[in-house]
Amino acid sequence: MIQAPTFAVVGHPNKGKSSVVATLSQNDAIAIALEPGTTRKRQAYPLKVDGQTLYTLIDTPGFQRPRRVLEWLEAHSVSASDHADTVGAFVTQHQGDGRFTDECELLTPLLDGAGIIYVVDGSVPYSTEHEAEMTILRWTGRPSLALINSIGADDYSDTWQAALGQFFQVVRRFDAVRAPFDQHLSLLRAFGQLEPDWEAPLEQATHYLSGQRQQRRRQAATLIARALEDMMSFQEKRTLTANQASETSDGSLADQLRQHWYRHQRKREQSLRVDIEHLYQHQRIRRQEAELQWHSEHDLFSEDSRNAWAVSKRYLATAGFGAGAVSGAGIDALTFGSSLGTGALVGGLIGAAGSYFYGDRLALPALSIGVLRDGLKTATFGPVQDSQFGYVVLGRAVDHWWHISHRNHAGRDLLDLEPADHHWLESLGKTSRQDIQRAFDKCRKRRPLDERQREKFTSAIEQAMAVYDDWRLNRT
Amino acid sequence: MTDSPLRLLLEFDAQAQRDRSQPPTFLHRRDRKFALICEKQGTTPDANRWLTHLNRLSGPRATPASTDRTLRAWRRITGGFAAIGVIAGMLTMAGLLFYDGGLRINITVLLAFVVLHLALALFTTLQSLAGWQPWRWLIRRFGADPGNGVFKKLHPVLMARAAHLGGITFAIAGLITLLVMVVIQDLAFGWSTTLETAATSYHRLIDAIATPWGWLWPAATPDLALIEATRFFRAGDPGESPDPALWGQWWPFVTMLWATWVLLPRAFLWLLASAQTRQKARRLLASHPAMHALMYRMETPALDTGNDHHDADDLPDTEARNNLLPLPESDTLLCWAGAGEPELPAALQSGKQLIVRAGGRASLADDDRALNRIAEHLGTRAGAVILLVRCWEPPTGELQDFLESARGTWPNGSRIALVPLAADSNREPDAPRLQPWLRFAERVGREFVQVSLPPFQRRDPYIPVGDQS
Repeated sequence: MIQAPTFAVVGHPNKGKSSVVATLSQNDAIAIALEPGTTRKRQAYPLKVDGQTLYTLIDTPGFQRPRRVLEWLEAHSVSASDHADTVGAFVTQHQGDGRFTDECELLTPLLDGAGIIYVVDGSVPYSTEHEAEMTILRWTGRPSLALINSIGADDYSDTWQAALGQFFQVVRRFDAVRAPFDQHLSLLRAFGQLEPDWEAPLEQATHYLSGQRQQRRRQAATLIARALEDMMSFQEKRTLTANQASETSDGSLADQLRQHWYRHQRKREQSLRVDIEHLYQHQRIRRQEAELQWHSEHDLFSEDSRNAWAVSKRYLATAGFGAGAVSGAGIDALTFGSSLGTGALVGGLIGAAGSYFYGDRLALPALSIGVLRDGLKTATFGPVQDSQFGYVVLGRAVDHWWHISHRNHAGRDLLDLEPADHHWLESLGKTSRQDIQRAFDKCRKRRPLDERQREKFTSAIEQAMAVYDDWRLNRT
Repeated sequence: MTDSPLRLLLEFDAQAQRDRSQPPTFLHRRDRKFALICEKQGTTPDANRWLTHLNRLSGPRATPASTDRTLRAWRRITGGFAAIGVIAGMLTMAGLLFYDGGLRINITVLLAFVVLHLALALFTTLQSLAGWQPWRWLIRRFGADPGNGVFKKLHPVLMARAAHLGGITFAIAGLITLLVMVVIQDLAFGWSTTLETAATSYHRLIDAIATPWGWLWPAATPDLALIEATRFFRAGDPGESPDPALWGQWWPFVTMLWATWVLLPRAFLWLLASAQTRQKARRLLASHPAMHALMYRMETPALDTGNDHHDADDLPDTEARNNLLPLPESDTLLCWAGAGEPELPAALQSGKQLIVRAGGRASLADDDRALNRIAEHLGTRAGAVILLVRCWEPPTGELQDFLESARGTWPNGSRIALVPLAADSNREPDAPRLQPWLRFAERVGREFVQVSLPPFQRRDPYIPVGDQS
């Protein structure tokens, strides 16, 4: 059996070797820092399919003393034919003696047959100082590819490309933090071009990675559908005894219910986000919006959220499913002005909350406080009757999914979910619109979706995700 | 795991519900692994094996599963129907055979009841086929619905099965009651109708009804003479009969009538409902959405992209306890690894008596020569040396070695001011690029190395860049 190819990612310190490995191995738990010596030991990241390794990436520390190594090699070599052996002798000589720890770590996989992925930073000027390490790598005689990463904003990649071409078989540009998924696959295919035996496993790996991405999209749609179902049908319920009822005014009871309902919905949305992030193997994303309930841009119930993600009345009308769409738009219109509130209680609630929380407009149809019966009083809040809530949740979820699915694992920045400036759902097909609206209508009536409806709902959401992806692509 | 399709469907559905809360990646890994085990063993993975595999790994169950609860509830419903059937069967037969020595027990009434019962049995089956569920309240009351959509589709056939079982116990209880009463009482059967029917027509009807058992038990098929003799009229004289023993000769017919047209159809429909339940459960299992998802997970290879290793929390100490210090006065400038190329900033160049280069393309011997030249220049006085470096190339072991050598070669008390230059040497380097240099200076020793910034020429914004000098 042919041994799976191995690629050692090598280079000068702080050029993004670990970032390249993090992105290609979809591992956001690899230490990345602008500090030489962050990677102290070589570390293997195998890509396995059913436990069988297709290829292995090895992250290595950067060169610390390339000139001294080269001097040693030149002093012990007689002709070009002994170069690889001399590198081997160097590692044997210095293994574990502390003087060339990093060099031994990075050269060992090459001596074991790994291909060379030499990483440079294309955002800083090229300098001939790198030639010592490039010469050492050439001495190993291993197939090599140079990768121009981009850490900073400046671009010197043209000069790098010209210079690297003299030392390496293939030179590619690859921004470890921003490269889209297609480029990951294309880079892996380029790795496969280094040796004839490596082409098949790398081709296979890209095929599986591509399939995994498709599968993840479907799984993400399922997660979003489930969350929407939960959120649209959620009801906060409180039963009070006669004593408790006499101590609590309807106003404060309604307020408590509303607050609990909001809290629950926010929590459910957050758990969806975590699920989506974990699905894409992002375990360590930092999101500030989770903490910022008061932040108008990020809160689920903020007016900004509604403006960004709610659909137009025309859309609701074309979602086509009579009752739901009409009631959605109708309730929206009815509750838009608080003066139409039927009771002082609801009017007061809306007035008190002001226009900040659009969710308060949902209070009128969602709140129900029963009369005292058999010594018990039951009050409920939800399910929300306005379909717009569903569209806000859907929009936010799809937006978050998009950011996560396009985020490389080398990224360490705070996740910023910027609001949309135009409604993308307008380009969703009629059938999908109807399926989404139907599901919303069933949920708000607290009727469970059967499996077939759930299937359709999930497919419609997947379609919405494709539409959003397309919209983003054309927008930027 | 049982082979019962119903239990299998319930178990599968319950597992599918639990899986809804599991991360998709875990589910994929788990199920793909199971498929690979099956492949190795040469078996075909199916729902039964899959559930057995999962249950075996989880060990014995402490609390009854929801499947057991649901099946128990259905057993309760079926048991209830059976018990009601027994009681109703006894009472109905006792009512039908009520005879106080007055009027005869009317065979026509018995025939009408059997027809009614047959119609009810057929209606139960038709209702289950149509999916109509007038019993829904009962299911809810007994908690026989595990609360998911798939199992709901089985309710009509399950209910029909329970009702038919009730019908069977009804028929058996009725039959036993009939036989007991035949033994312990003298029952007088006769036939009567308002319609103008001749005994011959009635005989033809009875003959047709008795066709199924006529060959088996001829005595259970009344002949024309018996029919003619046992007709009675309410207005007539009850004591007109020539032989009272004739009235009792109908019992074999009644027994076979009950067994053949009440018990057998019920048993047949019960078998049909049971077969339907099994078939529908199998079909529902095969078309279960979770089954499609499971098959997909088992067929699709599990991909591990290499994210086992976690060291993000194991970052080097990136806290800088060192600060930038003012650039000291010095007439010696050392450019490391190409720093200051292609052109040294004028502010740094002015007043320098010695400018040397080391590192980068220079050989190690060149480095030594540079160190010696500076040592000679310094003589015995301990001075400061300005060391220019490129801020974007992080400090390496080579520079550290060089500085260690300098410390040993130069007069005691000499100091080095590391000056990191940005790509545009007239601009201040970014703070993140300076941090590694500050930490490096700390590692080498603050008494020997400090980090400073070069003096920057402020550009007059009103003069074009090319005109500045």
